[in-house]
Amino acid sequence: MAVRPYWKGYLKLSLVTCPVAMSPATSESEKVRFHTINRETHNRVVSHYVDSVTGKEVSDEDEVKGFDRGGEYVLLEDDELQAVNLESVRTIEISTFVPRETIDWIWLDKAHYLVPDGKVGEDAFAVIRDAMAAEDVVGISRLVIGRREHAIMLEPRGNGIVVWTLHYGDEVRDEDEYFDRITADTDPQLLEVAQEVIQGQTKHWSPSFVKDPMQENLLKIIAAKKKGLKNVVKPIEVPTASKSNVVDLMAALKKSLEGGSKKSEAKAKR
Amino acid sequence: MARALWKGFLTFGAITFPAILYTAVSSAERVSFNILNRRTGNKVRREYVDSGSGEPVERDAQVKGYEVEKDQHIIIEPDEIAAIVPESDKTIRVSDYIPNSEIDTVFLDKSYYLIPDKAGEEAFVLLRDALVRSGVAAIAHAVLFRRLRTLLIRPHGNGLIASTMNFDYEVRSAEEAFEDAPKVHIEGEMLDLAKHIIATKKGTFNPKEFDDRYDTALMELVQAKAEGRTIKPPKEPKVEGVSSLLEALRESVGVTEKRRTRTTAKSRAAGAAKTGRKTASGERRKAG
Repeated sequence: MAVRPYWKGYLKLSLVTCPVAMSPATSESEKVRFHTINRETHNRVVSHYVDSVTGKEVSDEDEVKGFDRGGEYVLLEDDELQAVNLESVRTIEISTFVPRETIDWIWLDKAHYLVPDGKVGEDAFAVIRDAMAAEDVVGISRLVIGRREHAIMLEPRGNGIVVWTLHYGDEVRDEDEYFDRITADTDPQLLEVAQEVIQGQTKHWSPSFVKDPMQENLLKIIAAKKKGLKNVVKPIEVPTASKSNVVDLMAALKKSLEGGSKKSEAKAKR
Repeated sequence: MARALWKGFLTFGAITFPAILYTAVSSAERVSFNILNRRTGNKVRREYVDSGSGEPVERDAQVKGYEVEKDQHIIIEPDEIAAIVPESDKTIRVSDYIPNSEIDTVFLDKSYYLIPDKAGEEAFVLLRDALVRSGVAAIAHAVLFRRLRTLLIRPHGNGLIASTMNFDYEVRSAEEAFEDAPKVHIEGEMLDLAKHIIATKKGTFNPKEFDDRYDTALMELVQAKAEGRTIKPPKEPKVEGVSSLLEALRESVGVTEKRRTRTTAKSRAAGAAKTGRKTASGERRKAG
């Protein structure tokens, strides 16, 4: 997968500063993507900007960002925007360290990989990373990405640091509204059998869990069409389950146990 | 409470119960500016045109094309796509469980609150508590948004959180990303000093209380421009070379020491800066 340069700046802890480079952990580059085509001409359909009053095309160099200031627009060029007076535009200064488990996953937005940029900062980067790992903490900082300042979490991993942008407070819905109504208790006897069922089906993490059959089918359609063949792909089959509510949970668990023991896949110990 | 995003069933083993998904996180894009035509000062709008003729193309004439060679496209009709969209049977099907320690958070996409419908509560709490006791998360599949998606389901308080997972081809692994990163690891005095700095900065963080200061800073910039003041970019920070890193660490500790009244009993005798640098091979730590 191609690595795009995404952001370059500095990582700072107290008086220690080093140049760093960051790239996103996820990318759409390998996804089967389509262009929009004009059916009549087979040319690509492209989007461009036109002046909302004159209707004439506006060239790239004539496009400028206008910021509404009481009905009047103030024009700002991209390099001027870079001058916004926030250290977090170019520097990740770690202000606080917290135990990893105190930031719930629900707050994690996008993952990025952070590495030292050039020889000069290698040791400084390594000492910050290794000290976080040794203390078993993650770092908290701020970073401007895409014209917003994000809370970020820095997590040491291997030779690098994973940087997570975190969601904003108003983005994560209050879980109590959903979860408070769940009040039932679990029968300890059922729980024991359920744990047994789970143990039998526990495996190691594998990327095979996250295959995309839709993408595989799209590629098959494309390959067939290339050869001039008719559609050869069948829809993805989803096995059907009985929709009845289980009344006797113990009987169902026992049935699950039988099903589980027949499987011969590699099992993971916790 | 917001409207349910999805209603269906969850199946684990031979047990099935009615389940509901709610959006847990909503992220709204925020646009603080308009794109203007520099020449006229007018706003611009987007138009879709034929790349050859430059003429606008009607919605009906727009069709998906897969580029096989430069400007050579295979046209895929909407009904051909529709034919491979999996039919939803409204069921989240648990297939496997993985130890919590093996969950790679980089695969997590969007999170949803998962709760039982009235009749399913007993089975729901059984699954939830069994996950907690076993120290595992469930791997499940369901047709969501016209695609067969993998879900990671984990207990959270009284409820469950189901997260869609990114497909294998969408994630660059940490191993790959950090493969070329320098394999330098630091020990000895430098590590001790850095650990000491971290210890003085340990605290708590509540993401709910975070404030995005960008808008305020941006408005200052807009104000400055409007008043005709020149906009100067801030200075680049100073970077220590290898030789001054130990000094920077010592000074940092000095700075934090001054703020604290008590001194630490931590030994600094362990090795000089040079001997503290070692090159490690491919060791790695698990996230989560």
